[in-house]
Amino acid sequence: MNETSVLLFITIVFSILVIYWISIVVSVVYRKNRVARLSKIEATFADVVSQYLYNDPQNPITLSEINDRLREVGIRTGNKNNIQYLIRLMIRTQRTILGDNYAKLKTLYAQIPPYNASYSKISSWNWYKRARGIREIYEMNQSHYVHDIQKFQNHRNIFVRREAQIAMVVFLGWESLRFLPYLKRNMTLWQQIKIVEKLYDHHPTPELKWLHRAYKTDKLFGKKLLMRIIRKFQLHAETEFIIEHLNHPDYEVRETAIYCIQSFALSKKKMKNIKVLYEGIEDSTQQGHLLNYIYENSDIDIDFYMKQLNGTNDDLKLSVAEILWNNGYKEKVQEFYYQQYPTKEELDVE
Amino acid sequence: MWNSIAEFFSSEYVFLAANYIFFGYGIILMTFYFAGVILASRAIKRNKKKSLFLQVNDIVSATDIPSVSVIAPAFNEGLTIIENVKSLLSIQYPYYELILVNDGSKDDSLEKLIKEFDLERRDATFINQPIPTASVKYIYKSKLSKYTHLTVLDKNNGGRADALNAGINFATSELVVCTDADCIIEQDALLKMVRPYLEEHDREIIACGGGIGIANDSVIKNGVLKELRLPDNLVPMVQVVEYIRAFLLGRMAWGEINGLMLVSGAFGMYPRKRVIEVLGFDAKTVGEDLELCIRLRTLMEDKKIPYKVVYLPETLCWTEGPPDYNVLIKQRDRWARGLWETLKIHRKLFLNPKYRGMGMVFFPYWLFFEFGAPIVEFLGIICIIAFAFFGMINWPMAILLFTAAYIVGCIFSTAAIFMYVKNFNHYDKPKQIIELLLAAYLEPFLYHPILVYGQMKGYYKKLFGIKSGWGTMTRKGFKVSDT
Repeated sequence: MNETSVLLFITIVFSILVIYWISIVVSVVYRKNRVARLSKIEATFADVVSQYLYNDPQNPITLSEINDRLREVGIRTGNKNNIQYLIRLMIRTQRTILGDNYAKLKTLYAQIPPYNASYSKISSWNWYKRARGIREIYEMNQSHYVHDIQKFQNHRNIFVRREAQIAMVVFLGWESLRFLPYLKRNMTLWQQIKIVEKLYDHHPTPELKWLHRAYKTDKLFGKKLLMRIIRKFQLHAETEFIIEHLNHPDYEVRETAIYCIQSFALSKKKMKNIKVLYEGIEDSTQQGHLLNYIYENSDIDIDFYMKQLNGTNDDLKLSVAEILWNNGYKEKVQEFYYQQYPTKEELDVE
Repeated sequence: MWNSIAEFFSSEYVFLAANYIFFGYGIILMTFYFAGVILASRAIKRNKKKSLFLQVNDIVSATDIPSVSVIAPAFNEGLTIIENVKSLLSIQYPYYELILVNDGSKDDSLEKLIKEFDLERRDATFINQPIPTASVKYIYKSKLSKYTHLTVLDKNNGGRADALNAGINFATSELVVCTDADCIIEQDALLKMVRPYLEEHDREIIACGGGIGIANDSVIKNGVLKELRLPDNLVPMVQVVEYIRAFLLGRMAWGEINGLMLVSGAFGMYPRKRVIEVLGFDAKTVGEDLELCIRLRTLMEDKKIPYKVVYLPETLCWTEGPPDYNVLIKQRDRWARGLWETLKIHRKLFLNPKYRGMGMVFFPYWLFFEFGAPIVEFLGIICIIAFAFFGMINWPMAILLFTAAYIVGCIFSTAAIFMYVKNFNHYDKPKQIIELLLAAYLEPFLYHPILVYGQMKGYYKKLFGIKSGWGTMTRKGFKVSDT
């Protein structure tokens, strides 16, 4: 290594540094211009939509006028970023509008650019574009594409199949549960939550026949999803499905069952069954959660608690002792703890 | 072989060996950093793409998301405790509780809390203690309905780690967030932090961290960061760059290959059951955050359960960095001791194939480049002085090499600033960006030598068994806006 080579190296690294400087400047300038452009698009879109929804009968806004105004602010087929921003605005607007105006807006969206931009994305090879296209379609409630989306329910990319499954829930509602036994890949907790939330937002009236059919699923994620649906919709008549999973061999299924059952106040008969199942739960932390539930939702059953007090897990025993102590059974707790000390005879004290 | 130090330093072999060792070390480190830039860019890009499908608005009203306990230890923080607690109480999350652990404060912290939040004393006899801690004296709950999610644990002093453990014992949630009482947490931080736990399906998330930013001289209103400003002084200003570089380049890059060994103590989320399984934070080390993360990883490796440690690129927590050199030295001295202790505790991992990547790559990296860098730098300075004394240095060449190393260092800082400016809008004014770049370019001369001094001081204390604890971190406090 000589001085020339070091100098060459310095020139190269300095050039990289200069490239970063230029990139920072370009990034700042681009962002500034972009923000200005986007606020212009937003203002124009807001104006156009309000005129369209609340049209002045004397001077109605026409479709070609709308298209012209959008074109003026840069909504052109070639400018994908602007089109994408418009789609975001459209989704945002649609989420906040109800009734007749919702239907009018849906009609408008079918006639202005981006026309079929979202639909064309679902045939892209790129997972990101495809998933985004599906999302845009269900967010804008374009239900006529349901059959095109259905085939992606078991797609290998998690985001594509996730968005496709959500789209099915949005479009088909409770009926979409019939696909549950046919889903081949695992469903994350996020996905379960989103499905439950979408079902609740779009289809708030339960259709139990689809739920009952879905009970047949042997998929663990399916069982968890169904329990979450029962909880969200407060389906008291369906709590048996949750109860029977309280001592399921799978930790996560048990966890979900214990979590879901906590939203319900149950009859004495069902509570008696839960106390039996409680003893079959292997994990002491889960037992602790269920113990709290039993305590908060039933009368003090002294035999049950005394049995637990004489159990093996110290944390659970402490919880039981606290329950008994605070509910008028101090002497039982004292007696239990005193008997653990050796007696005078055992100590052989004179 | 050599009869004196003079003979040693004037030896041609020693000179050549030193040259090759330092040069080789620098090249390897530079390669790691370049790989880091590429990995971090990839991770940030992917994170941005994924975030479209994982929007917090989708779950903000959900009733099924995991419950979270935010645990904040406090020791003699009476001056700012009320503001800090109000800040932590203002976090947006449907199911969360704040557990403030008063770690035997000698000031009036507890009295202030009782008065402000109308706290009611409760018995702590039946508190479960799966992790042994110093005894909890009382539990306090607010009588006011708006503060039902606040619990104050009053316990005997046991240190930060012990206080966190007491909070973890008391929590009943699935996830726990460990933070400091004086941190300003972004309103939607928990919603963002919980995302990886919800979306992961084939690996268990054992820890999740978020970016931490320096907010000296910024304006706080009602416990929320109202206006982010760059610090007025150079020391915290350079820390802004240092944190951006560490979190955006370092953590994101390691996260990309599941090589994260550290989730910062200032803001980290863990599954409670796993933390209890490893018996919580180690109260005997001052590097308890690093130690816990390594212990959690070791547990999962031992149990052969697939796992992941994740980092989010967004800055979710703001803290006040050391405002001057004295406090900075104390902080880095403590960090160096924590690193020493942790590496010593987990030395069995070193080049141990049983622990796969952690044993063969991540742990050795920490040993050679996180722990070793200050030592190498210190020895480098000694060598330069000694070789210069014996006239063995080719000065034109040395200056050229120094310039090259300096520019390479500048590239990494500039890359981090570029990535931050491109992806986030915290510092978007040209003046702020220029100030950040200048701070980055001055760092090697005005900041880094002090840092090395602080670290070497920590190592010196460990080497000679000099007892030292956390040290007092004097802070100026944030600017609080009344308007």
